[in-house]
Amino acid sequence: MANELAALSNELAAAVEQAGKSVVAVHARPRFSSSGVFWKPGVIVTAEHAIRREEEITVTLPSGKNAPAVLVGSDAGTDIAVLKVDVEGAAVRPAKTAPVAGNLALAIGRSEDSGVNATMGIVSAVSGSWRTWRGGRLDHYIRLDLTMHPGSTGGLVIDVSGAALGIATPALSRIAGVAIPAATIDRVAGEILTRGHVARGYLGVGLQPVELPDHQKGLIVLSLEPKGPAANAGVLIGDILVALGGKPVADTDDIQAALEGHAVGSAIEAGVSRGGAVRSVAITVGERPRKD
Amino acid sequence: MRAFGEIAERLRRSTVQVFPDQRGGGSGVIWTSDGAIMTNAHVARKDAAEVRLWDGRRFPARVTSRDARRDLAVLRVEAGGLDAAAVGDSSALRPGELVMAIGSPLGFAGALSTGVAHSTGGGWIYANVRLAPGNSGGPLANARGEVIGINTAVINGLGMAVPSNAAAEFLRQGPRPALGVTLRPEEHGLRILQVEPNGPAAGASLREGDLLLGSFEELTAALDSGREVLPVRFLRGERVREAYVRLGARAEAA
Repeated sequence: MANELAALSNELAAAVEQAGKSVVAVHARPRFSSSGVFWKPGVIVTAEHAIRREEEITVTLPSGKNAPAVLVGSDAGTDIAVLKVDVEGAAVRPAKTAPVAGNLALAIGRSEDSGVNATMGIVSAVSGSWRTWRGGRLDHYIRLDLTMHPGSTGGLVIDVSGAALGIATPALSRIAGVAIPAATIDRVAGEILTRGHVARGYLGVGLQPVELPDHQKGLIVLSLEPKGPAANAGVLIGDILVALGGKPVADTDDIQAALEGHAVGSAIEAGVSRGGAVRSVAITVGERPRKD
Repeated sequence: MRAFGEIAERLRRSTVQVFPDQRGGGSGVIWTSDGAIMTNAHVARKDAAEVRLWDGRRFPARVTSRDARRDLAVLRVEAGGLDAAAVGDSSALRPGELVMAIGSPLGFAGALSTGVAHSTGGGWIYANVRLAPGNSGGPLANARGEVIGINTAVINGLGMAVPSNAAAEFLRQGPRPALGVTLRPEEHGLRILQVEPNGPAAGASLREGDLLLGSFEELTAALDSGREVLPVRFLRGERVREAYVRLGARAEAA
Protein backbone atom coordinates (compact mmCIF):
# COMPACT_ATOMS: atom_id res chain seq x y z
CA MET A 1 0.00 0.00 0.00
CA ALA A 2 2.70 2.44 -1.02
CA ASN A 3 1.65 6.06 -1.09
CA GLU A 4 3.34 9.41 -1.37
CA LEU A 5 2.83 10.17 2.29
CA ALA A 6 4.63 6.95 3.23
CA ALA A 7 7.39 7.87 0.77
CA LEU A 8 7.80 11.28 2.45
CA SER A 9 7.76 9.61 5.84
CA ASN A 10 10.52 7.24 4.75
CA GLU A 11 12.56 10.12 3.39
CA LEU A 12 12.26 11.99 6.66
CA ALA A 13 13.27 8.93 8.67
CA ALA A 14 16.21 8.31 6.34
CA ALA A 15 17.34 11.94 6.70
CA VAL A 16 17.12 11.63 10.49
CA GLU A 17 19.06 8.38 10.47
CA GLN A 18 21.79 9.82 8.27
CA ALA A 19 22.06 13.11 10.16
CA GLY A 20 21.89 11.24 13.48
CA LYS A 21 25.30 9.73 12.71
CA SER A 22 26.75 13.20 13.37
CA VAL A 23 24.76 13.89 16.57
CA VAL A 24 25.97 13.07 20.08
CA ALA A 25 24.48 13.47 23.56
CA VAL A 26 26.49 15.93 25.68
CA HIS A 27 26.70 15.41 29.44
CA ALA A 28 27.77 18.75 30.86
CA ARG A 29 24.93 19.83 33.15
CA PRO A 30 22.79 18.35 35.90
CA ARG A 31 19.50 16.54 35.12
CA PHE A 32 19.12 16.92 31.37
CA SER A 33 21.81 16.06 28.88
CA SER A 34 22.01 18.21 25.77
CA SER A 35 23.08 17.37 22.22
CA GLY A 36 26.03 18.26 20.04
CA VAL A 37 27.14 17.87 16.44
CA PHE A 38 30.34 16.59 14.79
CA TRP A 39 31.14 19.71 12.78
CA LYS A 40 34.60 18.57 11.73
CA PRO A 41 36.46 15.31 12.40
CA GLY A 42 37.02 15.13 16.16
CA VAL A 43 35.30 18.49 16.76
CA ILE A 44 31.85 18.72 18.33
CA VAL A 45 29.90 21.98 18.34
CA THR A 46 27.12 22.45 20.87
CA ALA A 47 25.06 25.15 22.62
CA GLU A 48 27.12 27.14 25.12
CA HIS A 49 24.24 27.69 27.56
CA ALA A 50 23.89 23.94 28.16
CA ILE A 51 27.55 23.60 29.22
CA ARG A 52 27.42 24.05 32.97
CA ARG A 53 30.75 22.56 33.92
CA GLU A 54 34.19 22.72 32.36
CA GLU A 55 35.55 19.42 33.64
CA GLU A 56 34.35 15.84 33.38
CA ILE A 57 32.34 16.41 30.22
CA THR A 58 31.39 13.24 28.37
CA VAL A 59 29.52 12.57 25.17
CA THR A 60 27.42 9.60 24.06
CA LEU A 61 28.48 8.77 20.50
CA PRO A 62 26.16 7.47 17.77
CA SER A 63 27.61 4.01 18.47
CA GLY A 64 26.14 4.22 21.98
CA LYS A 65 29.58 4.39 23.61
CA ASN A 66 30.53 7.19 25.97
CA ALA A 67 33.72 9.17 25.44
CA PRO A 68 35.42 11.96 27.42
CA ALA A 69 35.38 15.40 25.79
CA VAL A 70 37.53 18.47 26.35
CA LEU A 71 36.01 21.95 26.27
CA VAL A 72 38.16 23.93 23.81
CA GLY A 73 36.30 27.16 24.37
CA SER A 74 32.96 28.86 24.04
CA ASP A 75 31.29 32.06 23.00
CA ALA A 76 28.23 33.12 24.98
CA GLY A 77 27.38 35.82 22.42
CA THR A 78 26.54 33.32 19.72
CA ASP A 79 25.77 30.44 22.14
CA ILE A 80 28.48 28.26 20.62
CA ALA A 81 30.77 25.89 22.52
CA VAL A 82 33.43 23.67 20.97
CA LEU A 83 34.42 20.25 22.32
CA LYS A 84 37.18 17.92 21.19
CA VAL A 85 37.00 14.14 21.38
CA ASP A 86 39.39 11.35 20.43
CA VAL A 87 36.92 10.05 17.86
CA GLU A 88 36.61 11.23 14.27
CA GLY A 89 32.86 11.04 13.98
CA ALA A 90 30.84 11.68 10.84
CA ALA A 91 30.99 15.41 10.08
CA VAL A 92 27.81 17.10 8.86
CA ARG A 93 27.06 18.32 5.35
CA PRO A 94 26.21 22.04 5.71
CA ALA A 95 23.43 23.43 3.49
CA LYS A 96 24.76 25.49 0.58
CA THR A 97 22.14 28.21 0.87
CA ALA A 98 20.05 29.64 3.69
CA PRO A 99 16.51 28.23 3.97
CA VAL A 100 13.41 30.31 3.29
CA ALA A 101 10.41 30.75 5.55
CA GLY A 102 8.06 27.79 5.16
CA ASN A 103 10.72 25.14 4.50
CA LEU A 104 10.32 21.97 6.56
CA ALA A 105 13.00 21.53 9.21
CA LEU A 106 13.88 18.76 11.65
CA ALA A 107 15.71 19.16 14.96
CA ILE A 108 17.78 16.10 15.78
CA GLY A 109 19.13 15.26 19.21
CA ARG A 110 20.46 12.26 21.03
CA SER A 111 20.00 10.88 24.53
CA GLU A 112 22.01 8.18 26.21
CA ASP A 113 18.92 6.05 26.94
CA SER A 114 16.86 6.22 23.78
CA GLY A 115 19.34 7.16 21.08
CA VAL A 116 18.56 9.56 18.29
CA ASN A 117 15.40 11.67 18.43
CA ALA A 118 13.65 14.11 16.12
CA THR A 119 11.01 16.80 16.04
CA MET A 120 9.68 18.46 12.91
CA GLY A 121 8.29 21.87 12.04
CA ILE A 122 8.94 24.71 9.66
CA VAL A 123 11.40 27.55 9.31
CA SER A 124 9.16 30.43 10.34
CA ALA A 125 11.38 33.40 9.51
CA VAL A 126 14.73 34.06 7.87
CA SER A 127 16.59 37.33 7.65
CA GLY A 128 20.13 38.58 7.20
CA SER A 129 22.72 39.32 9.86
CA TRP A 130 21.24 39.49 13.37
CA ARG A 131 22.69 40.54 16.70
CA THR A 132 21.56 38.36 19.62
CA TRP A 133 20.62 39.80 23.00
CA ARG A 134 23.80 38.16 24.26
CA GLY A 135 25.83 40.46 22.00
CA GLY A 136 27.04 38.03 19.35
CA ARG A 137 26.25 38.26 15.66
CA LEU A 138 24.58 35.50 13.64
CA ASP A 139 25.09 35.53 9.87
CA HIS A 140 21.39 34.76 9.41
CA TYR A 141 18.42 34.82 11.70
CA ILE A 142 16.72 31.43 11.22
CA ARG A 143 13.65 31.17 13.41
CA LEU A 144 12.15 27.72 13.87
CA ASP A 145 8.57 26.71 14.53
CA LEU A 146 9.24 23.32 16.06
CA THR A 147 9.34 21.83 19.52
CA MET A 148 12.80 21.99 21.02
CA HIS A 149 13.09 19.65 23.97
CA PRO A 150 15.82 20.29 26.57
CA GLY A 151 17.68 17.16 25.50
CA SER A 152 17.92 18.27 21.87
CA THR A 153 19.34 21.70 22.69
CA GLY A 154 22.61 22.00 20.77
CA GLY A 155 21.42 19.33 18.34
CA LEU A 156 21.37 19.49 14.57
CA VAL A 157 18.77 21.29 12.48
CA ILE A 158 18.43 19.83 8.98
CA ASP A 159 16.24 20.38 5.95
CA VAL A 160 14.38 17.44 4.36
CA SER A 161 17.40 16.57 2.22
CA GLY A 162 19.47 16.09 5.38
CA ALA A 163 21.68 19.16 4.84
CA ALA A 164 22.65 21.01 8.04
CA LEU A 165 20.96 24.38 8.54
CA GLY A 166 22.66 24.90 11.88
CA ILE A 167 22.50 24.10 15.55
CA ALA A 168 19.34 24.28 17.63
CA THR A 169 19.15 26.69 20.54
CA PRO A 170 16.19 28.00 22.51
CA ALA A 171 18.41 30.48 24.38
CA LEU A 172 18.78 33.24 21.81
CA SER A 173 15.14 34.25 21.44
CA ARG A 174 12.25 34.44 23.83
CA ILE A 175 9.63 33.72 21.21
CA ALA A 176 11.06 30.77 19.31
CA GLY A 177 13.94 28.40 18.86
CA VAL A 178 16.69 29.55 16.55
CA ALA A 179 19.15 27.69 14.33
CA ILE A 180 22.69 29.06 14.76
CA PRO A 181 23.62 29.17 11.05
CA ALA A 182 26.38 27.06 9.55
CA ALA A 183 28.33 30.15 8.42
CA THR A 184 28.39 31.49 11.99
CA ILE A 185 29.54 28.13 13.35
CA ASP A 186 32.35 27.97 10.78
CA ARG A 187 33.48 31.47 11.74
CA VAL A 188 33.13 31.25 15.55
CA ALA A 189 34.24 27.64 15.98
CA GLY A 190 37.23 28.38 13.75
CA GLU A 191 38.27 31.24 16.01
CA ILE A 192 37.75 29.17 19.16
CA LEU A 193 39.90 26.38 17.71
CA THR A 194 42.79 28.72 16.89
CA ARG A 195 42.55 31.08 19.86
CA GLY A 196 40.54 29.23 22.51
CA HIS A 197 37.97 32.00 22.62
CA VAL A 198 36.40 34.72 20.53
CA ALA A 199 38.24 38.01 20.92
CA ARG A 200 35.91 41.01 20.84
CA GLY A 201 37.12 44.53 20.16
CA TYR A 202 37.18 46.93 23.12
CA LEU A 203 37.61 50.68 23.44
CA GLY A 204 37.32 51.05 27.22
CA VAL A 205 34.65 53.75 27.16
CA GLY A 206 31.14 54.17 28.56
CA LEU A 207 28.96 55.83 25.93
CA GLN A 208 25.57 57.54 25.77
CA PRO A 209 23.90 58.45 22.45
CA VAL A 210 23.31 62.20 22.06
CA GLU A 211 21.98 64.51 19.39
CA LEU A 212 24.28 67.35 18.41
CA PRO A 213 23.05 70.92 17.67
CA ASP A 214 23.50 70.38 13.93
CA HIS A 215 21.15 67.37 14.10
CA GLN A 216 24.07 65.06 13.75
CA LYS A 217 24.20 62.16 16.13
CA GLY A 218 27.02 60.82 18.22
CA LEU A 219 27.92 59.13 21.49
CA ILE A 220 29.25 61.09 24.43
CA VAL A 221 32.00 59.55 26.54
CA LEU A 222 30.68 59.28 30.10
CA SER A 223 33.38 57.08 31.55
CA LEU A 224 36.84 56.07 30.56
CA GLU A 225 38.83 53.08 31.66
CA PRO A 226 42.17 54.38 32.95
CA LYS A 227 44.92 53.25 30.59
CA GLY A 228 42.25 51.69 28.35
CA PRO A 229 42.54 51.81 24.55
CA ALA A 230 40.62 55.09 24.20
CA ALA A 231 42.35 56.77 27.16
CA ASN A 232 45.75 55.84 25.73
CA ALA A 233 44.77 57.48 22.44
CA GLY A 234 44.00 60.74 24.26
CA VAL A 235 40.20 60.53 24.36
CA LEU A 236 38.72 62.50 27.29
CA ILE A 237 35.46 62.27 29.23
CA GLY A 238 33.00 64.61 27.52
CA ASP A 239 34.30 63.92 24.03
CA ILE A 240 31.64 62.96 21.51
CA LEU A 241 32.32 60.03 19.21
CA VAL A 242 30.79 60.79 15.80
CA ALA A 243 32.53 58.27 13.54
CA LEU A 244 34.39 55.00 13.85
CA GLY A 245 36.25 53.14 11.13
CA GLY A 246 35.25 55.83 8.64
CA LYS A 247 31.49 55.48 9.26
CA PRO A 248 29.21 57.77 11.27
CA VAL A 249 28.00 56.26 14.58
CA ALA A 250 24.65 57.02 16.22
CA ASP A 251 24.23 54.24 18.78
CA THR A 252 26.14 51.39 20.44
CA ASP A 253 25.09 48.92 17.70
CA ASP A 254 27.10 51.02 15.23
CA ILE A 255 30.10 50.86 17.57
CA GLN A 256 29.85 47.08 17.86
CA ALA A 257 29.43 46.68 14.12
CA ALA A 258 32.53 48.81 13.49
CA LEU A 259 34.58 46.85 16.04
CA GLU A 260 33.39 43.50 14.73
CA GLY A 261 35.09 43.90 11.38
CA HIS A 262 38.26 45.11 13.00
CA ALA A 263 41.16 43.00 14.24
CA VAL A 264 42.08 43.30 17.89
CA GLY A 265 45.46 45.02 18.25
CA SER A 266 45.23 47.22 15.16
CA ALA A 267 44.35 50.94 15.09
CA ILE A 268 40.90 52.21 14.17
CA GLU A 269 40.17 55.73 13.02
CA ALA A 270 37.73 57.57 15.34
CA GLY A 271 36.06 60.91 14.67
CA VAL A 272 35.91 62.79 17.99
CA SER A 273 34.06 66.09 18.51
CA ARG A 274 35.57 68.26 21.25
CA GLY A 275 34.61 71.87 21.78
CA GLY A 276 32.75 71.95 18.49
CA ALA A 277 35.68 70.78 16.37
CA VAL A 278 35.94 67.25 15.04
CA ARG A 279 39.35 65.69 15.12
CA SER A 280 40.58 62.28 14.07
CA VAL A 281 42.08 59.97 16.67
CA ALA A 282 43.66 56.55 16.05
CA ILE A 283 42.66 54.12 18.78
CA THR A 284 44.43 50.79 19.09
CA VAL A 285 41.56 48.34 19.60
CA GLY A 286 41.97 46.25 22.73
CA GLU A 287 40.39 42.94 23.65
CA ARG A 288 37.26 43.03 25.76
CA PRO A 289 38.07 41.63 29.22
CA ARG A 290 36.39 38.25 29.74
CA LYS A 291 34.76 36.90 32.86
CA ASP A 292 36.70 33.86 33.98
CA MET B 1 -1.57 11.33 -3.35
CA ARG B 2 -3.24 9.43 -0.59
CA ALA B 3 -3.55 12.39 1.69
CA PHE B 4 -3.64 12.59 5.45
CA GLY B 5 -7.40 13.03 5.28
CA GLU B 6 -8.06 9.71 3.58
CA ILE B 7 -5.72 7.73 5.81
CA ALA B 8 -7.00 9.51 8.90
CA GLU B 9 -10.62 8.76 7.96
CA ARG B 10 -9.92 5.03 7.78
CA LEU B 11 -8.15 5.19 11.14
CA ARG B 12 -10.98 7.25 12.62
CA ARG B 13 -13.43 4.42 11.83
CA SER B 14 -11.28 2.03 13.84
CA THR B 15 -11.13 4.37 16.83
CA VAL B 16 -13.78 4.28 19.56
CA GLN B 17 -14.65 6.35 22.57
CA VAL B 18 -14.57 4.50 25.88
CA PHE B 19 -16.74 5.63 28.80
CA PRO B 20 -16.25 3.68 32.02
CA ASP B 21 -18.70 6.00 33.81
CA GLN B 22 -20.26 9.45 33.59
CA ARG B 23 -16.99 11.21 34.39
CA GLY B 24 -15.75 11.24 30.83
CA GLY B 25 -13.58 8.73 29.12
CA GLY B 26 -10.80 7.99 26.71
CA SER B 27 -10.26 6.31 23.40
CA GLY B 28 -9.74 2.77 22.16
CA VAL B 29 -8.68 0.90 19.03
CA ILE B 30 -10.78 -1.81 17.36
CA TRP B 31 -8.15 -4.55 17.30
CA THR B 32 -10.24 -7.38 15.76
CA SER B 33 -13.45 -7.19 13.73
CA ASP B 34 -15.14 -9.58 16.16
CA GLY B 35 -15.04 -7.11 19.03
CA ALA B 36 -11.67 -6.95 20.82
CA ILE B 37 -10.83 -3.33 21.67
CA MET B 38 -7.45 -2.22 22.97
CA THR B 39 -7.25 0.71 25.35
CA ASN B 40 -5.32 1.94 28.40
CA ALA B 41 -5.84 0.32 31.80
CA HIS B 42 -6.29 3.83 33.23
CA VAL B 43 -9.15 4.41 30.77
CA ALA B 44 -10.87 1.05 31.43
CA ARG B 45 -10.68 1.64 35.17
CA LYS B 46 -13.87 -0.33 35.89
CA ASP B 47 -14.93 -3.85 34.91
CA ALA B 48 -17.36 -2.54 32.30
CA ALA B 49 -17.60 0.45 29.99
CA GLU B 50 -19.68 1.89 27.20
CA VAL B 51 -18.03 1.93 23.79
CA ARG B 52 -19.12 4.39 21.10
CA LEU B 53 -18.18 3.82 17.47
CA TRP B 54 -17.42 6.56 14.92
CA ASP B 55 -20.95 6.21 13.45
CA GLY B 56 -22.67 6.74 16.78
CA ARG B 57 -23.46 3.11 17.60
CA ARG B 58 -23.08 2.28 21.28
CA PHE B 59 -22.18 -1.07 22.83
CA PRO B 60 -21.75 -2.26 26.38
CA ALA B 61 -18.28 -3.69 26.84
CA ARG B 62 -16.59 -5.71 29.54
CA VAL B 63 -12.93 -5.67 30.48
CA THR B 64 -11.49 -9.12 29.76
CA SER B 65 -7.84 -8.47 30.60
CA ARG B 66 -5.82 -5.74 32.22
CA ASP B 67 -2.07 -5.11 32.58
CA ALA B 68 -1.41 -2.22 34.94
CA ARG B 69 2.35 -2.44 34.37
CA ARG B 70 1.85 -1.79 30.67
CA ASP B 71 -1.21 0.42 31.20
CA LEU B 72 -3.17 -1.75 28.74
CA ALA B 73 -6.63 -3.30 28.86
CA VAL B 74 -8.72 -5.33 26.44
CA LEU B 75 -12.43 -4.65 26.16
CA ARG B 76 -14.86 -6.95 24.42
CA VAL B 77 -18.12 -5.95 22.73
CA GLU B 78 -20.72 -8.36 21.33
CA ALA B 79 -20.56 -7.25 17.72
CA GLY B 80 -19.17 -8.49 14.45
CA GLY B 81 -17.94 -6.94 11.22
CA LEU B 82 -16.29 -4.02 12.96
CA ASP B 83 -13.70 -1.86 11.16
CA ALA B 84 -10.58 -3.34 12.71
CA ALA B 85 -7.43 -1.24 12.54
CA ALA B 86 -4.43 -2.38 10.50
CA VAL B 87 -1.75 -3.08 13.10
CA GLY B 88 1.85 -2.33 12.13
CA ASP B 89 5.21 -3.54 13.40
CA SER B 90 6.28 -1.02 16.04
CA SER B 91 9.85 -2.30 16.06
CA ALA B 92 10.27 -0.98 12.50
CA LEU B 93 9.37 2.59 13.48
CA ARG B 94 12.21 5.08 13.03
CA PRO B 95 12.61 8.58 14.51
CA GLY B 96 11.46 11.17 11.97
CA GLU B 97 8.66 9.05 10.48
CA LEU B 98 5.35 10.87 10.10
CA VAL B 99 2.81 9.76 12.69
CA MET B 100 -0.79 10.61 13.47
CA ALA B 101 -2.93 10.24 16.54
CA ILE B 102 -6.73 9.96 16.65
CA GLY B 103 -8.77 10.29 19.79
CA SER B 104 -11.22 12.46 21.62
CA PRO B 105 -8.99 15.03 23.30
CA LEU B 106 -11.03 17.37 25.49
CA GLY B 107 -14.20 15.71 24.20
CA PHE B 108 -13.70 16.31 20.45
CA ALA B 109 -14.46 12.87 19.00
CA GLY B 110 -12.29 11.72 16.10
CA ALA B 111 -9.78 14.56 16.38
CA LEU B 112 -6.52 14.19 14.43
CA SER B 113 -3.05 15.31 15.54
CA THR B 114 0.02 14.83 13.39
CA GLY B 115 3.77 14.98 13.92
CA VAL B 116 6.85 12.81 13.78
CA ALA B 117 8.17 9.92 15.82
CA HIS B 118 10.59 11.51 18.30
CA SER B 119 12.41 8.49 19.72
CA THR B 120 12.00 4.90 20.74
CA GLY B 121 13.55 3.57 23.88
CA GLY B 122 12.88 2.06 27.26
CA GLY B 123 9.96 0.09 25.81
CA TRP B 124 8.02 3.21 24.75
CA ILE B 125 7.41 5.25 21.64
CA TYR B 126 7.77 9.01 22.05
CA ALA B 127 6.04 11.14 19.44
CA ASN B 128 6.18 14.85 18.73
CA VAL B 129 2.36 15.10 18.54
CA ARG B 130 0.06 17.22 20.62
CA LEU B 131 -2.11 15.04 22.84
CA ALA B 132 -4.63 15.80 25.57
CA PRO B 133 -6.68 13.78 28.06
CA GLY B 134 -9.13 11.84 25.91
CA ASN B 135 -6.37 10.70 23.53
CA SER B 136 -5.49 8.02 26.09
CA GLY B 137 -6.05 4.53 24.71
CA GLY B 138 -6.35 5.78 21.13
CA PRO B 139 -4.16 4.87 18.16
CA LEU B 140 -0.81 6.30 17.10
CA ALA B 141 -0.35 5.34 13.44
CA ASN B 142 2.39 5.60 10.82
CA ALA B 143 2.10 7.19 7.37
CA ARG B 144 0.41 4.04 6.04
CA GLY B 145 -2.30 4.32 8.66
CA GLU B 146 -1.03 1.24 10.51
CA VAL B 147 -1.39 1.41 14.28
CA ILE B 148 2.09 1.34 15.84
CA GLY B 149 1.20 2.46 19.36
CA ILE B 150 -1.47 3.10 21.98
CA ASN B 151 -1.30 6.72 23.20
CA THR B 152 -0.86 6.60 26.95
CA ALA B 153 0.59 9.76 28.47
CA VAL B 154 2.19 13.12 27.85
CA ILE B 155 5.71 13.50 29.27
CA ASN B 156 7.46 16.89 28.95
CA GLY B 157 5.15 17.72 26.04
CA LEU B 158 5.91 14.49 24.18
CA GLY B 159 3.25 11.93 23.45
CA MET B 160 4.15 8.58 24.98
CA ALA B 161 2.68 5.41 23.47
CA VAL B 162 2.83 1.69 24.25
CA PRO B 163 4.30 0.01 21.14
CA SER B 164 1.79 -2.04 19.13
CA ASN B 165 4.02 -5.12 19.42
CA ALA B 166 3.65 -4.97 23.21
CA ALA B 167 -0.13 -4.59 22.84
CA ALA B 168 -0.26 -7.57 20.49
CA GLU B 169 1.79 -9.64 22.93
CA PHE B 170 -0.53 -8.63 25.75
CA LEU B 171 -3.58 -9.76 23.74
CA ARG B 172 -1.86 -13.04 22.87
CA GLN B 173 -0.33 -13.89 26.25
CA GLY B 174 -2.27 -11.91 28.83
CA PRO B 175 -0.88 -9.52 31.41
CA ARG B 176 2.71 -9.69 32.57
CA PRO B 177 3.27 -10.92 36.11
CA ALA B 178 2.84 -8.21 38.72
CA LEU B 179 3.27 -7.92 42.48
CA GLY B 180 -0.08 -6.23 42.98
CA VAL B 181 1.30 -3.17 44.75
CA THR B 182 1.68 0.55 44.21
CA LEU B 183 5.30 1.61 44.57
CA ARG B 184 7.18 4.86 45.03
CA PRO B 185 10.92 4.92 44.28
CA GLU B 186 13.03 6.08 47.23
CA GLU B 187 16.75 6.37 47.88
CA HIS B 188 17.33 2.79 48.96
CA GLY B 189 14.44 0.97 47.34
CA LEU B 190 10.77 0.99 46.49
CA ARG B 191 8.24 1.98 49.14
CA ILE B 192 4.95 0.05 49.08
CA LEU B 193 2.15 2.62 49.16
CA GLN B 194 -0.73 0.24 48.59
CA VAL B 195 -1.27 -3.52 48.51
CA GLU B 196 -3.95 -4.96 46.25
CA PRO B 197 -6.22 -7.22 48.37
CA ASN B 198 -5.78 -10.89 47.41
CA GLY B 199 -2.91 -9.99 45.09
CA PRO B 200 0.45 -11.82 45.00
CA ALA B 201 2.12 -9.36 47.41
CA ALA B 202 -0.76 -9.61 49.89
CA GLY B 203 -0.43 -13.42 49.73
CA ALA B 204 3.24 -13.10 50.74
CA SER B 205 2.36 -10.89 53.74
CA LEU B 206 3.89 -7.74 52.29
CA ARG B 207 2.37 -4.66 53.86
CA GLU B 208 1.92 -0.99 53.17
CA GLY B 209 5.06 0.86 54.33
CA ASP B 210 7.52 -1.96 53.59
CA LEU B 211 10.57 -0.91 51.57
CA LEU B 212 11.50 -3.32 48.77
CA LEU B 213 15.29 -3.35 48.37
CA GLY B 214 16.55 -2.85 44.82
CA SER B 215 15.73 -0.71 41.83
CA PHE B 216 12.66 -0.58 39.65
CA GLU B 217 14.68 -1.99 36.75
CA GLU B 218 15.79 -4.97 38.85
CA LEU B 219 12.23 -5.65 39.92
CA THR B 220 10.97 -5.43 36.34
CA ALA B 221 13.65 -7.84 35.15
CA ALA B 222 12.84 -10.27 37.99
CA LEU B 223 9.10 -10.14 37.22
CA ASP B 224 9.74 -10.82 33.54
CA SER B 225 12.25 -13.61 34.19
CA GLY B 226 9.54 -16.26 33.93
CA ARG B 227 9.92 -17.45 37.54
CA GLU B 228 6.69 -18.35 39.29
CA VAL B 229 8.04 -17.66 42.75
CA LEU B 230 10.00 -14.49 43.33
CA PRO B 231 12.17 -13.99 46.42
CA VAL B 232 12.04 -10.37 47.58
CA ARG B 233 14.10 -8.66 50.29
CA PHE B 234 12.50 -5.80 52.12
CA LEU B 235 13.00 -3.49 55.07
CA ARG B 236 10.31 -3.37 57.73
CA GLY B 237 11.16 -1.19 60.68
CA GLU B 238 14.82 -1.86 61.46
CA ARG B 239 15.02 -5.36 60.04
CA VAL B 240 15.69 -6.70 56.57
CA ARG B 241 13.35 -9.59 55.87
CA GLU B 242 12.74 -11.93 52.98
CA ALA B 243 9.49 -13.13 51.46
CA TYR B 244 8.54 -15.40 48.57
CA VAL B 245 5.89 -13.98 46.26
CA ARG B 246 3.90 -16.51 44.23
CA LEU B 247 3.24 -14.77 40.93
CA GLY B 248 1.09 -17.50 39.41
CA ALA B 249 1.09 -18.66 35.82
CA ARG B 250 0.44 -16.18 33.06
CA ALA B 251 -3.27 -16.43 32.36
CA GLU B 252 -4.59 -16.78 28.83
CA ALA B 253 -6.60 -13.74 27.81
CA ALA B 254 -10.28 -14.48 27.39
